[in-house]
Amino acid sequence: MIVDILKEGILGSAKSMYSIAIIVFPIMIGLQILKDYNILNKISNMFRFVTKIFNISSDSVFPLLVGVIFGISYGAGVIIQSSKDGDITSRDLFLITVFLVTCHAVIEDTLLFVAVGANGYFLLGIRVLSAIVITFILSRLNISENEEIIENESVVEIN
Amino acid sequence: MVLIKSIKTGFVKGIETTWMLGKVVVPVYLLVTILKYTPVIEWITSIFTPLMALFNLPGEAAIILVLGNVLNLYAAIGAITAISLTPMEVTVIAIMLSFSHSLLIETAVTKKLGISVKKVILIRLGLAVVSGILVGQLGGVI
Repeated sequence: MIVDILKEGILGSAKSMYSIAIIVFPIMIGLQILKDYNILNKISNMFRFVTKIFNISSDSVFPLLVGVIFGISYGAGVIIQSSKDGDITSRDLFLITVFLVTCHAVIEDTLLFVAVGANGYFLLGIRVLSAIVITFILSRLNISENEEIIENESVVEIN
Repeated sequence: MVLIKSIKTGFVKGIETTWMLGKVVVPVYLLVTILKYTPVIEWITSIFTPLMALFNLPGEAAIILVLGNVLNLYAAIGAITAISLTPMEVTVIAIMLSFSHSLLIETAVTKKLGISVKKVILIRLGLAVVSGILVGQLGGVI
């Protein structure tokens, strides 16, 4: 009984690891090529239209793309660097972060779930669409994180 | 040549990532497999069946959602493979988890960007719940 359970666990986890590994290797090699050839830098011009949709600065496009493709931790590093070097307002920062928390590392995340049986088109489609809709709504509401911090501070003073 | 160097670096990262994944996926898979043979899984199932019915998921799926949100996607994937689910159920779980996962680590990262933790968690969990209900119920109809 116990031997059977352990056997099922070991064989099953080996099988899962195999289906994950055959996806992870091509992704990591592909992402490394994207990074080494600065391909994102080159194609971020193609995504200029995003600045109009969300009304954000053109310097925000590159960090946004990096986060969507490589993941939130790597994206955050680039965002912090870009906001030092370029023209990224706190409003831009808020909107790209909102987009990224809902939609990041899309290639890796999507393919990992496809490996265990999910419908990838559905998954990616819903994720990207939701991120666009929620960021669009917030961009029109004109909420800025800074304003809120100021509001909170004034509340504290009154109290 | 740069390309060969990229492929090599990518390959090494592939090994690193697979190793890192293995350290999470294998223990979770073993744990869930063992749980399946104990009454614990039935308790969890019976407690969460009403809640999971919202998303048209079986009660055991609660384990996957908790692991994904508290730990990370890899732990959730380990649990998905250990529990037998239909492709539609895996898709619903994948959509929910893709919005909301690794909340402990990723929220710490977003905090660095100066966005309020409450708002980030609200957006992520909100999207996960809404999309889970919509897709789950829609999937049930199809």
